Amino acid sequence: MLKLVLSFALSTTALVAAVPQGPSLRCELVPGWSQQGENRAYTPDNLFEYMDGNAEGYLIYGFVKMTGISCTKGPVNLAIDISDMGDADSAYGMFTANRDPRRPSQKIGMGGQITQRRAIFAKGQYYVEVAANPEGDHTAALQEWTSALEKTVEGTSAPPAAISWFPTESLKSLRMVPESVLGLRLLKRGYAAQYDYGTAFLVLESSEESAAQVMQKLRVRFGETTPAKVADEAFQLNDAYLGRMCFFRKGRYIGGYAKVADGQDPAARAAALAGNIP
Amino acid sequence: MAIIHSRRSFLTAGLGVPVLASATRSFTSAPPQPAASHPATPKLQYRILGKTGLRVTTVGFGCMITSDPSVIERAADLGVMYFDTARVYQGGNNERMVGVALKKKRKDIVLSSKTHARTREEALQHIDKSLQELGTDYLDIWYLHGKSSPQQVTDDLIDAQQTAKKAGKIRFAGVSTHSGQPELMPFLMKNPNIDVILTSFNFTMEPVMKTLIADAAAAGRGIVAMKVMAGGFRKLRPGDPNYSKLKAEGGMLSALKWVVRDANVHTTIPSITDMDQLDENLRAMAEPYGAPDEVLLGAHLETIRPLYCRMCGKCDGQCRQGLPVADMLRYLTYADGYGQFALGREHFLELSAEHAAVDCRNCPGCTVECPHGVKVSQQLIRARELFAC
Repeated sequence: MLKLVLSFALSTTALVAAVPQGPSLRCELVPGWSQQGENRAYTPDNLFEYMDGNAEGYLIYGFVKMTGISCTKGPVNLAIDISDMGDADSAYGMFTANRDPRRPSQKIGMGGQITQRRAIFAKGQYYVEVAANPEGDHTAALQEWTSALEKTVEGTSAPPAAISWFPTESLKSLRMVPESVLGLRLLKRGYAAQYDYGTAFLVLESSEESAAQVMQKLRVRFGETTPAKVADEAFQLNDAYLGRMCFFRKGRYIGGYAKVADGQDPAARAAALAGNIP
Repeated sequence: MAIIHSRRSFLTAGLGVPVLASATRSFTSAPPQPAASHPATPKLQYRILGKTGLRVTTVGFGCMITSDPSVIERAADLGVMYFDTARVYQGGNNERMVGVALKKKRKDIVLSSKTHARTREEALQHIDKSLQELGTDYLDIWYLHGKSSPQQVTDDLIDAQQTAKKAGKIRFAGVSTHSGQPELMPFLMKNPNIDVILTSFNFTMEPVMKTLIADAAAAGRGIVAMKVMAGGFRKLRPGDPNYSKLKAEGGMLSALKWVVRDANVHTTIPSITDMDQLDENLRAMAEPYGAPDEVLLGAHLETIRPLYCRMCGKCDGQCRQGLPVADMLRYLTYADGYGQFALGREHFLELSAEHAAVDCRNCPGCTVECPHGVKVSQQLIRARELFAC
């Protein structure tokens, strides 16, 4: 990777000029730290050179560009990278995809998480990562850095409104799915929340008409469905892989529950979710 | 170096004469084939993964950007036998999802993960973490992740793999690579500790890759191909208009079929996002690579050919400044095609000071005309910007 970073540094004239400047990134942001090596900058064209196949996970969330530096203090090295994801929704999506749902999140920007060797957070259209080396508990340094970076990075600290519509009781994880919610291409982009009793999902279509069309295509795709009384329109079904399900449409929103546990009513769960949508 | 110099026919040679004949035809000349809707029993094709003896379907499953575990679960039910993830994907969340999805099928499938560790100690921590997250006692294949030179495949990391193997935590050891294959793959072929090579391979890559893969397979290495679609990760990506076009026209399936037809590739791991993509990919095992596929891929090569030098040498002596044009384009290919920036720069810096100082933008017009449509002056400007500092 060092070679690749070096190769980039040697071609900065051409590449950096093509990358608009993002948030200011300096090791002096936190006293006592000094920069090691050159600044990093990546676009979708060369992100693979920095992180190999893991780059796909960025591209699918709309990655625009990344700037980064490495800072040292004694034996500790921090790799700090700020990715411009194009919009706040995508930046928050990156955060939800990369946080450990088993650990608590913190109120850093729209949302953040700090562990012993890694800190991540999303603010505005930016997704921020700080990775610490070597092995050890670097929580204190990571907290100091995320605090400083949060002030530097511009943009909203309010998470997407849709997050608040999901019931919080028994919620195990919630993530933004950039393509094919529930593995269905018809559900282009949205949120999926995991509960003990099933998976809730929510997709925003461009208009009520397009949402109604998607509902109709879903009925065709699944074949045998049963109408349900939830929001503007709804139906239930049982799928071999998605289990007991209920889809509903409320205006431009398509939502519902999948993989609903025995003893639970998919339509009732869906109605509760629909009721939270303004 | 002999291998690199031998790649005379370059890109389209990988597709054969029919492609060359059809290369100027439009994308739209090939009608898109509608995706089959959920085939209940897809036709599967199997190969043996080199000396591992593992039987795998030629189309496997790259789990990295899969949107829901139900897609992986269904793939396993349909008979797909190879599933790939990595420790680093989504901060470990991907391994957890894969583990949940394959829990009931673990003994029926081949499961691989990767470590990007740089030390033996860290690698051994990673394997334990991977097993924990995947909910399994062993990995079938454990790769050293993203190596591009023999120097990166250190004795320490090899020892970590062998230690894990002796402990029953992995069955076979592998190395994954996105670049630098001309130097790395011969090294891996000679290393008796390496059982499987996971390499990027697609229809836009240089013919030398086919030779390298054939040699590695002949040496008993299992060959797993990644980045099999979309014309190579450096040239095409989601969001690129050509990517959308290729995807819409069925080009992704054609690209997958192009790789699968190579008998030296034992399995592939296209990233599969959803059920529809799974169904489409499975068709690559049932439908032979044919003329419509050649048209699609050939047309795509047309769109990217201004970037690629075929090393025919016909540009030699054409530059009014006396630049060794073919050599300079080759240096650029080292960086852009093989990911070997250092090698390209090393050669560039061996140019005479007079040649290294030439800036094509100062010429009143380029005298070099490439018979294959490569925009030579643009490429020379890029080579200078990339290497001359």
